[in-house]
Amino acid sequence: MVNLEDLKKEAKRILEEGKIKYIIGYERSPNGMMSMPAFIKNPEDAERLTWDPSCVYNLTRFLVDEKRRKAKEKKPDTRPVAIVVKGCDSRAVVVLLQEKFINREDVYILGVSCEGAGVVDEKKLTEKLKGKKADKIEFSEKDHFLITSDGEKIKIPAQEILAERCLECRANFPVIYDEVLGEKVERRPEDPFKSIERIESLSKEERWAFWKEQLDKCIRCYACRSVCPMCYCDECVVDTISFAVAADTTAEEKAQKIKWIERSPDSSENFVYHLVRAIHLAGRCIDCGECERACPLDIPVRLLNKKLEKEAKELFDYEVGFDPEKPSLASSFKDDDPEDFIR
Amino acid sequence: MADEFEPKIVAFLCKWCSSAGSDLAGVSRMQYPPNVIPITVMCSGSMSPLYILSAFKKGADGVLVSGCHPGDCHYIKGNFYARRRIALVKKLLEFIGLEPQRFQMSWVSAAEGTKYTQIIKDFVEELKPIGPQTKLRRSS
Ligand code: SF4
Ligand code: SF4
Ligand code: FES
Repeated sequence: MVNLEDLKKEAKRILEEGKIKYIIGYERSPNGMMSMPAFIKNPEDAERLTWDPSCVYNLTRFLVDEKRRKAKEKKPDTRPVAIVVKGCDSRAVVVLLQEKFINREDVYILGVSCEGAGVVDEKKLTEKLKGKKADKIEFSEKDHFLITSDGEKIKIPAQEILAERCLECRANFPVIYDEVLGEKVERRPEDPFKSIERIESLSKEERWAFWKEQLDKCIRCYACRSVCPMCYCDECVVDTISFAVAADTTAEEKAQKIKWIERSPDSSENFVYHLVRAIHLAGRCIDCGECERACPLDIPVRLLNKKLEKEAKELFDYEVGFDPEKPSLASSFKDDDPEDFIR
Repeated sequence: MADEFEPKIVAFLCKWCSSAGSDLAGVSRMQYPPNVIPITVMCSGSMSPLYILSAFKKGADGVLVSGCHPGDCHYIKGNFYARRRIALVKKLLEFIGLEPQRFQMSWVSAAEGTKYTQIIKDFVEELKPIGPQTKLRRSS
């Protein structure tokens, strides 16, 4: 079991040594059951850090922000930033390293074990507690969560309130770290692509009806994009829509800024947005589920990415986020990649 | 004769092989259905999935991506990258419920005018029974 005191001690130590710029971790939220991101600069604040099954956020998104901020500074502080990562999040760090978006020396990785369980789904937990608030969410022995609510302690089987992605997780222990807390408890999902197979088993028209209903809800707020650590492009095709054509717009400008997608939440535009998003994340999405969690309309966007994760595995034997030295899915090929679909 | 549905096909042809192959079909006066809107791209590897989605959005009933045979790409490896990318696009389109017949890929060399005409004939025949593509088409 991760000893929280060990995490705090380690955090305090690295900050006191002065080799770390700050720590990106989790702290308890003053109003709400779930933990929230914490940015710790001073050693005495290391006390605030927490690690429990309510730490759902994938904090690696903040590494992207950090890089951007640093790029703008005249005399940037070049010390590494420390970050607390779960298994899934650590795979996001691997992808950022693989794509050379960040360098290994820019980050100090504090891995935490999910103790053979994972993190909770806030909605599932709320339902389970029938609207009551949980004051504390803890890992408990083997596959259970210990919830403290209204002074009462309840044990809930992890399977019942785990986040969807945790049910299909294949790395519930960090795959890369400088320091790791907690034991490596293997928990292999019986079927890592169960959610996808469920949709695949539907008929073509049923699949269409399902996605049409889901994607038509999208209001194009781009929360799913903002929250994703892999959506770090400086320019996104989706944004060329803000380009206004005026009388003095040159042909060159028009050719450079093609309006591929309209911002209006029209059904067809929504499909194009979501398909492009999924394809650009193929071989890069590590299934942290943040896109789905951030969506205000409960659209299961994660499933589009998961489908491509499944295809990458089945067609190209490619697994995302385990090896930073490996060429990426889209920048490599094998001579015998399948081509039975080609005429 | 009643108005038969004539599918619109957008064909993205690489400049060095498939486009030349379609030209050969043309100059050799081979007969094939006029349903194709050919668009020359430099290489099948330069195909952005966005081109494909755009074509569907703008009302294509079918989309074809065609490049040089493996080993023959003018840029050596372009079609190998394309093969991977297009496979994923195809799987994804099927996953959301688009008819699999609507999106095809082929290898057509500069000498294969006959193969090109056959691909187009088959494509048209496969699209006719499933009717117009309305799923991804923009309504307004
Ligand atoms: S977060 Fe949800 S509503 Fe917002 S753009 Fe993404 S899918 Fe659409
Ligand atoms: S697409 Fe969603 S699940 Fe995948 S890395 Fe981005 S936020 Fe995480
Ligand atoms: S030039 Fe024809 S596929 Fe690359």
